[in-house]
Parts: sequence; C-alpha cells; structure tokens
Amino acid sequence: MKRAFLIVTLGGLLVIMSYSFIQMPAIGSQDHPAYNEIAAHYIENTVAETNALNVVAVIISDYRALDTLGEATVLFTAVSAVLSVLLIAHPKPLKKRKENHHG
Amino acid sequence: MIYSFWIQILEHVNYIGAACLFVVGLYTVVTHNNFIKKIIGINIMETSVFLLFVSIGFVHGASPPVLTLGDTGGPFVNPLPSALILTGIVVGVSITVYGLSMVIQIHQLYGTIELDEILDTEESKDDSPHA
Repeated sequence: MKRAFLIVTLGGLLVIMSYSFIQMPAIGSQDHPAYNEIAAHYIENTVAETNALNVVAVIISDYRALDTLGEATVLFTAVSAVLSVLLIAHPKPLKKRKENHHG
Repeated sequence: MIYSFWIQILEHVNYIGAACLFVVGLYTVVTHNNFIKKIIGINIMETSVFLLFVSIGFVHGASPPVLTLGDTGGPFVNPLPSALILTGIVVGVSITVYGLSMVIQIHQLYGTIELDEILDTEESKDDSPHA
C-alpha cells in the first residue's frame, strides 16, 4: 500500500515535470530565453575586458569573483562542520554490533 | 498527432532524462534504509539538476566558449550555466562529505547504518527500563 502510493506520487511528479519541460524551447535552439544578451556580452567582451580566452574561467574568476569567494566560504564551512562532527568522542556505544545482521 | 508528440519528446530528451534521474534519486532516498544509499540518491538528484542546467546552455552547431584570437567564430555555447554548475558541484561535494561524516558518527554510536535497526534499538531502549 505504501509502496503503491509512493510509486503513484513519483510517477505523477515525473509526468508533471516532463509536461513542463516539453513547454520549454527545444534543446539547442538559439531563441531560448537563457541565451540572451548577458551570454552575448560575456562572449563578445571577454577578450577586450579581461585579456583571457576561456569564457567560463573568466566568468568564474573575474566577472563573478565574489560568487567564487562565497563558494570558497561554503567549502570552508563544510570542512569546519565535518571536523566538528568527526571529533565528537563516544565513550561507550549504545549497542554491540550484531555481526549476523549484515549480508 | 502522435508523431508530433514523439518529436516533442525527442527535442526535449535531455530535460526528460533529467526528470527521470530526479525521480530515481528521490525514490532511492525514500525507499532505502541504508544511509549511504540515501546519500547516493541525493547525489543522483544533484546530477539531474546539473544535466538540466547544462542542457539549457547548449546551442546546436555552436563551438565551446573558448575564444581563439583573430577568429570571430560562429555561435558559442552559453557559458553562464556551465559557470553556475561549477559552483553547484562544489556545494554538492560539501553536502556529500558532511552526510558521510554523520554516517561515520552514527556507525560509531549504534554499530549499524541501517535506519530500521536504529529505530528498533531506540524502541527497545525506551521499553526496557520499565519491563
């Protein structure tokens, strides 16, 4: 019963998502809303403004460098969180490991 | 009519594939008891979002957005989704590492990483002092 309800829910989600995606412009069409004047500006002015050739690298490290700084902050926060979780000491486990339960 | 429907599917096959990957990842997260399998499901969902974004940036017949000097070139692939997804990959790796570290702690505390066994342990712990 639970399994059937889950499958119906996920199938409905798949149908709704697929129907929404079909309304978008086709893959590779130049009139996609994402292919607008911003991308054209990056491609046309990269060499003149930054003297670099790789547009993706220029966007990451030059045009949106503050974004990359935030990304480095995310990495630092993740490392601190992982260390603070890993350094918790457990004096005694709650339950002895049952060897025969694992296949 | 039915022919144009299949044409529509083929024109959006990457988006449909992203939707299928998302549903597969969500199914994995919901149905499995093993925490590592849940983290694998979360990674599959992330990958579906990456596929969706990079597919949005694709342009037919376009060259990759690496300019060559003195060549104006034809159309270029949209560079913005690729740059955004690089940030997204970093966030995904951070989430994966944090989840795996919590799995290590859970294994040290309970001796297992199966959700149902942990729930059994908690229930028996609640019952035993009054029995």
